Amino acid sequence: MQVTEATAVDQLQEKFPQVSLVRESARDGIPTAWIPAGHVSELMQFLKTGIEQPYAMLYDLTGIDERVRVNRDGQPASDVTVVYHLLSFERNEYIRLKVALHTNHLSLPSITAIWPAANWYEREVWDMFGVRFEGHPHLERILMPKTWVGHPLRKDHPARATEMGPFQLPEEKEEREQEALRFHPEAWGMERSRDGADFIFLNVGPQHPGTHGVLRIVLQLDGEEIVDAVPDIGFHHRGAEKMGERQSWHTYIPYTDRVDYLGGVMNNFAYLIAVEKLAGIEVPPRARTIRIMLAELFRIISHLVWYGTFAQDLGQMSPVFYTFNDREKAFGIIEAICGARMHPNWFRIGGVAQDLPNGWEAMVRDFISYFPPRLREYDREVLANRIFKGRTVGVGECTTQEAVEWGMTGPNLRATGFAWDFRKKQPYSGYENFEFDIPTALHGDCYDRALVRVEEMRQSVRIIEQCVNHMPDGPYKSLDPLASPPLKERTMHDIETLITHFLSVSWGPVVPPGEALGAIEATKGNNGYYLVSDGGTNSYRTRIRTPSFPHMQMLPLLCRGRMIPDLLAVLGSLDYVLADIDR
Amino acid sequence: MPDNYFARYLPLLIHLVIVGIVACGMVLLSWLIGWRRPTRAKMAPYECGMAPIGDARERFSVKFYLVAMLFILFDVEAVFLYPWAIILRDLKMFGFWEMIVYIDIVLVGFFYIWKKGVLDWGEASMKRGGF
Amino acid sequence: MTSPYPFAAIFGILIVALTIASGLIWIERRLLALWQDRYGPNRVGPFGLLQVLADTIKLLAKEDWIPPFADKPVFIIAPAIIMITVLMSFAVIPIAPGIIISDLNIALLFFLAMSSLGVYSIVLAGWSSDNKYSLLGGVRAAAQMLSYEVFMGLSLMGVVLLSGSFDLVDIVHAQRKIWFIIPQFLGFVLFLIAGLAETRRLPFDLPEAESELVAGFHSEYSGMKFGMFFVGEYLGVTLISAMITILFFGGWMGPVLPPIVWFLLKMFFFIGVFILMRASLPRPRFDQLMAWAWKLMLPLALANLLVTGAVVLAFFH
Repeated sequence: MQVTEATAVDQLQEKFPQVSLVRESARDGIPTAWIPAGHVSELMQFLKTGIEQPYAMLYDLTGIDERVRVNRDGQPASDVTVVYHLLSFERNEYIRLKVALHTNHLSLPSITAIWPAANWYEREVWDMFGVRFEGHPHLERILMPKTWVGHPLRKDHPARATEMGPFQLPEEKEEREQEALRFHPEAWGMERSRDGADFIFLNVGPQHPGTHGVLRIVLQLDGEEIVDAVPDIGFHHRGAEKMGERQSWHTYIPYTDRVDYLGGVMNNFAYLIAVEKLAGIEVPPRARTIRIMLAELFRIISHLVWYGTFAQDLGQMSPVFYTFNDREKAFGIIEAICGARMHPNWFRIGGVAQDLPNGWEAMVRDFISYFPPRLREYDREVLANRIFKGRTVGVGECTTQEAVEWGMTGPNLRATGFAWDFRKKQPYSGYENFEFDIPTALHGDCYDRALVRVEEMRQSVRIIEQCVNHMPDGPYKSLDPLASPPLKERTMHDIETLITHFLSVSWGPVVPPGEALGAIEATKGNNGYYLVSDGGTNSYRTRIRTPSFPHMQMLPLLCRGRMIPDLLAVLGSLDYVLADIDR
Repeated sequence: MPDNYFARYLPLLIHLVIVGIVACGMVLLSWLIGWRRPTRAKMAPYECGMAPIGDARERFSVKFYLVAMLFILFDVEAVFLYPWAIILRDLKMFGFWEMIVYIDIVLVGFFYIWKKGVLDWGEASMKRGGF
Repeated sequence: MTSPYPFAAIFGILIVALTIASGLIWIERRLLALWQDRYGPNRVGPFGLLQVLADTIKLLAKEDWIPPFADKPVFIIAPAIIMITVLMSFAVIPIAPGIIISDLNIALLFFLAMSSLGVYSIVLAGWSSDNKYSLLGGVRAAAQMLSYEVFMGLSLMGVVLLSGSFDLVDIVHAQRKIWFIIPQFLGFVLFLIAGLAETRRLPFDLPEAESELVAGFHSEYSGMKFGMFFVGEYLGVTLISAMITILFFGGWMGPVLPPIVWFLLKMFFFIGVFILMRASLPRPRFDQLMAWAWKLMLPLALANLLVTGAVVLAFFH
């Protein structure tokens, strides 16, 4: 890691000697450099195409309001920092680039020409921080309503409803909001008619049974053919990132459960990996294996929801009932271990909340033997069905290159034939000790995405089986004083530990200042938490990079020139969750 | 009741009247029993809760009208086969060969429109897979 | 021969048809539930049998909504059309010897005509709603039902060739030796598919396609007017099942049991098949459906007709 760190930023400096780069060493070891706003485009272009072993993917783009941050040793002065995370597959490494901006001139060049995926990310930064991106094709709010005043992730923006006066919705306000939501084709450069036939502009969602939540897609239709599509998101936005700045490190865990609400502990997992990197906590082996087992169970649970609803989107009514029954079985295990089902809130800083209950092995083994035959049955029922194939094969195709360009990760990326799985490539929590395959497919169409997910469930069963067979003994939580709630081993024996325990429980742990990215292979793709600590009991900035966000951004690409039913097939095959898009 | 031509249709007529009464009665009954309380949201056409862009009365893609034209062509052609099917036994082999010629003519037209691509509604979707 | 007591036959058949159609709602929900590992309606009355009654009362007591933007007369007439056309078809169905409203010598043509008229209901409903989803649903319905109509008629001509009559009673009598399912298996398959398409049942429910078009042509309908589409669909299922029974499975004929029982048994079997299809199949895309109809079904129907013609001639000479 250290060797390449030197070379990545070095190569950049070597190529652009006139540009002054300021290096920063981040706690997570990702090479980090500050670059001047004027040179963003050329540096990005070089990193994407010029450099050997290029950074092909724009992994994340976000901002930090630095104005009240205290611990910024060695960092250039900045009011709002725009942070780019790039990912290189050849190097198997991220690079973090930061741009310092000042309140009198919150503006920098857009990189949408280099990475089309930057489009939505830049809109989000504009929405949340009020940073202008010059040359952006359509810079407007993306998550907040268009009528919103202020930029929510700025530190001076209220964080709680109680700071804003009671909410009221008189009729004229409702009308104003509805009018603001009306779609104007001209604003998106769309024609109203062609060759004597009028295009139909159709709102699909937010109240639509096929969109899996409050998602709105505006379709430009020629008969049934989709000429263009504009996804409109933000209806499910709950300010999860802003909440992270108010909750203590520990009490934020349940909020993460609600981001990808089908992924359960997957969210805890990514968040805690980042926190543990910041706090320097080593998680004991038993806790790591418990985490993996629960994560894989949740991968199955999430994929089962996808499987059933995907078939339902294509008009097949029954599979959803079968897969939900199986999901209930898996939830039985989750409930026995965690006490909760969809939102287990089970992982803790430094481990998990409690040890596994008596009899857990029998339950898990029971599920392992029950589940694979069921999967075979669904293969015959769904995957082998000719109408199902007719609806999915060759629909919504994308190449690996397009997928990387648009920030696609997870099963969707692997369906294009690119065997990139963060569990294998950047193992965390001990995945390197497990035997499993990375399923891939060839064409990157809806059918292949389905195949990959189904095979992934089989691999998850394999991993769970290994967890049961080789569950290590030992503590389920780290003895580190920052682990919370701390273990009570010695609290009643010496006053020092008692005081630490008391403070840690009442205030929450104080995490040393620094920045860290924790990224995992979640159910839908790469889920990353980029945390900034200012040395307090809560996070200074919590950035949640979710897989569904870039996937949804790809939608127009995948369904242009196709028919309305294909839109539903593509939506279903992408496997997104609205809370995961909007946060 | 004498079994003449009209007598067969009389029950049908009575049936039509009764069925009409049943259908209209259902509409009427719900009009009588049902209540009406219009609100602003109800008065707008359903488009997933969003203000619609334009309305549904627009010039529609010509592809759909083609189907209707094809239907008229082929249904008329098919109708000629109905009486033929009834009296084929009386027409014997002559009728059979005649119909072969007729169907061949229909098929020529059929393959012509097939090759012209009139029967392909979404060409992109047929690239790989399909039925 | 036509029933000597027309009023008795009319009311009898109407009541039975409407009861079966509404009862089907319960049967379908229970059957689907059985196949999908759940209970279905089981609370209202014994086995949830009164659920249909409760639903009817609910539908009647609902707001009688006619959207102000709709084409009002057409909007009201559309659901009535489907009820009338389907119920009219029942007039020519011979349930058992003597149990028929009107024994026409062109009964088969009458049935085809009525099912063609049924398309109007869907198209007018979609058009008059002035809603884009409804319009798309209506247009889909028109294209789909027109396409499947072409070969629906053709698929039955094999039966006509064999029996030499359009009269359904004669067709049943012609099956005394052998049910037409044996010589006309292809015709049966084609008619079953066309029948599914005509009743807009899964896998041919594209005009509704709740996951795409949100109920399509009847998005704007509520209350009893929606209920009429609903009942119309089940009446259609009953009708097509009855037609299959008559045309391919010897109608009321069968040993031991009384004719009417045989008829109902056979009919309910096909109703069950319809429901099973709905439980198991996904929905094809519009273009696939159309390509299927024109490129596969139509040539097959023509081939079936010619082969049957040749066999009939060879057999009788």
